[in-house]
Amino acid sequence: MLRFIAGRLIVVLSVGLTLSIVTFFLLNYVIDPAQAIAGEDALFEEIEQIREQYGFDRSITIRYFEWFSGIFQGDLGISYYWNKPVISLLIDRAPETITLALMSVSVTILISIPLGILAALNPNSLIDRIALGIAVTAQAVPNFWLGLIMILIFALAIPIFPVSGDKTLFHFVLPSIVLGASSVPAVMRLMRTGLLDVINADFIRTARSSGFYGWRLVFNHALRNALLPVVSVLAVQLGNKFGGSVITESVFAINGLGRLALESILGADIPTVQILVFVFAIIFLFFNLLADILNAYLDPRLRL
Amino acid sequence: MIFKTFIKRLFPRSFDNEIYNLRPKDLIIRKSSNHGGFKFGLSLLIIIFLFAIFGPIILDVSPYEQDLTKRLLPPVWKEGGSWEYIFGTDGNGRDYFARILYGTRISLTIGFGAACVGMIIGVSLGVCAGYFGGWVDQVVSYLLTCQLALPGLLLAMTIVFLIGPSITVVIFVIGATHWAFFLVVSRSATQKIKSLDYVTAASAIGASKFQIIIRDIIPNTFSQIIVIFTLEVGIAILNEASLSFLGVGIQPPTPSWGLLIAEGKEAIFFQPWLIILPGIALFTLVVSINMMGDGLRDITDPNSKVSEE
Amino acid sequence: MSKLKSLIITLLISLMFPINVFADKSDDTFVAAFSRELTQLDYHYGTKTEFLILGDMIDSGLFYVNREDLSYVPDIASDYKIVDDTTIDINLRKNAKFHDGSNVTADDVVYTYNFIVKNEKNRRSKKIKGWMESIEKTGKHSVRFKSKYPYANLFNDLYRIKIRKNGIMGTEGNWNDSAQLNELNGTGPYKVVSFDPGVEVVLVRNDDYYGGPKGMPAIKNVIIRSIPDMGTQQAELMSGGIHWMYNVKKDIGEAMAKTGKADYQLGPSLRVGFLVLDAGGYSGEGNPITKLDVRRAMNHAINRDSIAKNLIGGPAKAVHTACNPVVFGCFQDVKKYEYNPEGAKKLLAKAGYPNGFDLDLWSYRDKEAAQAMAEDLGKVGIKVNLKHGKLSALNKARKNREIRAYFGTWGSTASPDTATISNIHWRDPAKGDRNLSGDPKVNELMLGAEQTLDVEKRKSLYAQGLKLIADQAYWVPLWSYSEGVLSSKSIDFKLDPDGYPRLWNITWK
Repeated sequence: MLRFIAGRLIVVLSVGLTLSIVTFFLLNYVIDPAQAIAGEDALFEEIEQIREQYGFDRSITIRYFEWFSGIFQGDLGISYYWNKPVISLLIDRAPETITLALMSVSVTILISIPLGILAALNPNSLIDRIALGIAVTAQAVPNFWLGLIMILIFALAIPIFPVSGDKTLFHFVLPSIVLGASSVPAVMRLMRTGLLDVINADFIRTARSSGFYGWRLVFNHALRNALLPVVSVLAVQLGNKFGGSVITESVFAINGLGRLALESILGADIPTVQILVFVFAIIFLFFNLLADILNAYLDPRLRL
Repeated sequence: MIFKTFIKRLFPRSFDNEIYNLRPKDLIIRKSSNHGGFKFGLSLLIIIFLFAIFGPIILDVSPYEQDLTKRLLPPVWKEGGSWEYIFGTDGNGRDYFARILYGTRISLTIGFGAACVGMIIGVSLGVCAGYFGGWVDQVVSYLLTCQLALPGLLLAMTIVFLIGPSITVVIFVIGATHWAFFLVVSRSATQKIKSLDYVTAASAIGASKFQIIIRDIIPNTFSQIIVIFTLEVGIAILNEASLSFLGVGIQPPTPSWGLLIAEGKEAIFFQPWLIILPGIALFTLVVSINMMGDGLRDITDPNSKVSEE
Repeated sequence: MSKLKSLIITLLISLMFPINVFADKSDDTFVAAFSRELTQLDYHYGTKTEFLILGDMIDSGLFYVNREDLSYVPDIASDYKIVDDTTIDINLRKNAKFHDGSNVTADDVVYTYNFIVKNEKNRRSKKIKGWMESIEKTGKHSVRFKSKYPYANLFNDLYRIKIRKNGIMGTEGNWNDSAQLNELNGTGPYKVVSFDPGVEVVLVRNDDYYGGPKGMPAIKNVIIRSIPDMGTQQAELMSGGIHWMYNVKKDIGEAMAKTGKADYQLGPSLRVGFLVLDAGGYSGEGNPITKLDVRRAMNHAINRDSIAKNLIGGPAKAVHTACNPVVFGCFQDVKKYEYNPEGAKKLLAKAGYPNGFDLDLWSYRDKEAAQAMAEDLGKVGIKVNLKHGKLSALNKARKNREIRAYFGTWGSTASPDTATISNIHWRDPAKGDRNLSGDPKVNELMLGAEQTLDVEKRKSLYAQGLKLIADQAYWVPLWSYSEGVLSSKSIDFKLDPDGYPRLWNITWK
């Protein structure tokens, strides 16, 4: 097990390294950071001044090594755009995204698990079809569109929720629904097929013949077994929410990492985008690793 | 990786221990004619296709012609709307119906184009990994991890910045970031087919590896790939819409649905049809593709029991 | 694991309780929304209009642009005397104070300008160093500037440099550029209470403010929120979360006004739009735009009046000069190209392009107008491939000399002088990448007009330059813009003639 984890950790780190090289060169090639910092109506002198000030006139390879060695000294760099150390930006913005990610996964769980169970218990019934309908809908609605429609309905037509911002947990309700909806189809289907498989499995048939039946059976035996893969997929979905929060956060004006990423890309803030890509990748890999370990630990049959 | 487990649950057939012989055609046809979702999705998709191809030819409307004195006219069912512009006009006084109609072509082109690019990348990597195994498999698996870990939207934005936005660039960028499903499924299918008798026999009588891959392996993975393909078409269409929405996708004045939604976004409270109509178009197309894909998966899966009522 | 758990629980609990509900007249708190984020407080490190607005609220320069007649008036300066072409004496107000309570003296002013000029890293350094010879203290409340040549746009620079307290930015050789980025000891009518970069800045009225041309603000508390999405801003305005938003297009503004929940004003702006054409052939061989008739055809092809009236609305109108007609020096009696698609076709045929040609047109702002223009050019045979993207993409291509034509706009925010637009667009091609005329005469005339204080001579140089630009059709001047502002019914806000929103002058109704 330890060897397995160590091996995976090496993969995680080397993937992170590869991605950091790719993004650094891409970003520096695409964008003229000096102009981006200076702004739309900046004067030529101001732009040249910035180029010299930040050392953008030097070679890209040298700048990469500077950046990379900085990371090892705990220096994530200073954002050109926000004029702050990147690390403090991350600390400032992370709570919002963590809250959004956790809440949206909760939304996913609240919708997809009960629906999946109901659908599996009544295959080909009306409930099953409604569940399928919800899955198909959620899969086909672009989340930027859903966000706008949600604001239109639940913040203006029926003013229940605030339009935007992130001051209270209440502000996170609509964005969590928008972000959570995108994971509903996958989790629900997995729950449904998983539960159907287990219900048809031998040991459940045995349990059923020995006198257990109905809901109790479902909760005691089938559900526990069917939940295993769902839990690990939820972990993966949680990892996805960080990189996936870009659009939702900007529609709802939530000051999390996703909006930071978008603003930093548009502001050509290479140090911040750099670190964010790295962080998103590491978070994703971490949750995958977690899910892998969970899976291998809980259910040796699923080990790949 | 967990990703594989996930796919395994969704596409059980690709991972079954025994390989199924291709079943008689009539069974497939009977199954599909009994599958309501599949029939619905397919017919909707055919209708949309016909609209996209023949609509602009039959109906004499232009998505580009503008009349600045007729801006933001409401659609026909709203007060002040007229039959001249069924869906009203946009901010430049262009016929919104024509723009949505042409947008169908753009979405279909990008959806199918990007899924093809993704399929070519994913299947060739997957087949190589599955057939050769060893270090090839490890390299491919590393590439897969990199692709999955990279925040796709951020990468796509950067690349589109780099090359400059156009339909071709968008197709390749989306394709290049969506091949993981193809890879995983074709890899495991290849592994199974490789060990089958007739493949080992072929290599024994001296067929080259390339011949085996082309003649024996790829055709046999086809039925699984097609399911993934339909799924990816839907994903690619939504992805293009997101990119265009963020302003790094299709260039104006080309009528991409995502772009239409982005352009109408500011007016959401006063001209809501500007985002609702393309949103519905997008939704209908993706739903029809997904229902067809779901249906295809059920039909090609020998374990599924399509009700034969 | 338990650490993480407790962290998350603390986080959830702290987020559960609302901090402030809606701010309003009852607690004297005004909330404005910007769509572009404020990343720091020190105006010397930002050039966007948003930074200037904030800068004017919390900082002051020696001069200020009067809202009524757009003239430069003394701000921290009390009066001034032009000694000769290159020398100006400035007396300072004796009652101006920093937010920490200390008086503004000549030492602070000298220190500020020395910091700007001597600190190579400062972004304004080169601009000021370009003209400034020296600054010296001539009394406790008086200074003398000497310039290298007669510099016409002096007051604009004296407005844009905000006064810093002696020593606050470090000392020579040891400058500290980030000293005032996140907290600011300014001299403006408001003080910073708290600042969350990219999120909001909270201000409170500075009760020790000296008044000056900005006047004493009427509203006590001001919050400026960054809300990137215009749709979200509208929703916030309707639900009472904000009181004020700007850069609002006419359709939305008018529709919003009809709901009765907000007032809409569409007033003039100093911003103008134009096409810059590669007449000098910098983008390589086979460029049709190097031909005068082609450039003239493009000038005739675009229906400026229709676009200005229908798309932009308000006071926006067609412009025929390479500057906004309302600013100083913008001579109007130049060759005018009326909308005439037939004439344009004839000119194209005469130039050897009877079937037109393909053109990549770059743009980054105002997508509707860019598309309308592309359509107009298409009608005379110039098939436009619109390259609408982010400013950084345009800048890169422009720097690499890949651009044949781009759609630019220039805001001239709070600087009503032709010098502001011409300085960057007509400079020597060796020192900038926007002058694509290939004609050294334009540079000589347009920038020459900055190097004299003689008003009549400046006017005459601009007149000659603008005539030449129009005659040779180096640009396609397009239209002036309008500034649209939505404000809630509870506040009284008036747009000024330059469209620059002076938030410190807002009052409750």
